[in-house]
Amino acid sequence: MEISNLTFDDESKKEVLDLFEKTIDQEGFIVEKEDMTQRVLTTKGEEILFEEWGGVVKGSESFIKSDTFSLIELAKKLN
Amino acid sequence: MIFLDKLKTIFEGKFGDILSNNKFSLFHFSKNVNEPLEVKNENTLKIDLTKLNEEEKELFKKEIRNITIQKEGDAFLINKTIRKTQKIKKNLPKDADELLLKFYRNKISPEMYKALEASLIVRNAFINNEDITELKKDIRNKYPTFGNNLCNLTTRNYFDDHFKELYLKMLEEEDFNIRVYQKKIEYIVKSLPYIAFIAKDKTYDELSGEVMFKLAKLKMYGTGKLILHGLGKGNVETTLKILEEYRNDKDTCIDIEINPKRTIITATLMF
Repeated sequence: MEISNLTFDDESKKEVLDLFEKTIDQEGFIVEKEDMTQRVLTTKGEEILFEEWGGVVKGSESFIKSDTFSLIELAKKLN
Repeated sequence: MIFLDKLKTIFEGKFGDILSNNKFSLFHFSKNVNEPLEVKNENTLKIDLTKLNEEEKELFKKEIRNITIQKEGDAFLINKTIRKTQKIKKNLPKDADELLLKFYRNKISPEMYKALEASLIVRNAFINNEDITELKKDIRNKYPTFGNNLCNLTTRNYFDDHFKELYLKMLEEEDFNIRVYQKKIEYIVKSLPYIAFIAKDKTYDELSGEVMFKLAKLKMYGTGKLILHGLGKGNVETTLKILEEYRNDKDTCIDIEINPKRTIITATLMF
């Protein structure tokens, strides 16, 4: 796995979420735009607060958090 | 680059000069430009999503999803997450650290194991003079009862020697049970602010002074206990000698736990 050449800034997170048909609910969690009761989960089944969202891992469009523990798992997979 | 070709299709004719430049290797999204596309540092194409018209936005949405979903194996990340990931990757446990993790696998709880792995990354980053604030904060947030203490103990190499030695000493006991070891580690890690490690690298006077200093400090904060922990016969004897200094102190109760081989001591001074 590699980090994509396509990246985005913190200021554009909302627009990027929109590209993936996602939005934020009242409690600050990332949810499906079409059904705001459905929260987006990490592959470990964790809900993701907008502020802790780190990006998307290709292959399965899995959303990942930006905390150290999530990124350790990602870093281990990177070439 | 697939995405660049797709961009050329989306913005055909409109921004030909920019897109014909093959130096672009990195794409940023930004609100800080007047036009939707802007070249930065000769190799970065910034795209402002808010400046796209509806048709461009729809095409862009379709292509970005196609690429991020269909192209196996890439991570599409926020810039600051990339920097954090790269720092973590650079400091991932290697060689001696890997052996250390191998030693503790299945010996300490899974939560403590994960915290140890992250703490080794913090230690490596610290050695490389990198900022460890955020990494350490994450460990503290995920494991509030022990994360910070475990990280400090890892940085001070307690997992490289002291806790290994504790395991080997406990293993010598006939009724050894790994759960007891796990609980002991948890107890020590969680009690770190109230612990004095009795070790050979300090003289008796230094150790005695340290215990006296910690006791005075803890009394001031109203904590009520200080734990003395020592490994090896010599340190057990030193600990007992220090405890003798408080034997006649009416305000202090002493609870001593020594293993049958007298190689591990955990004593609690309650005041």
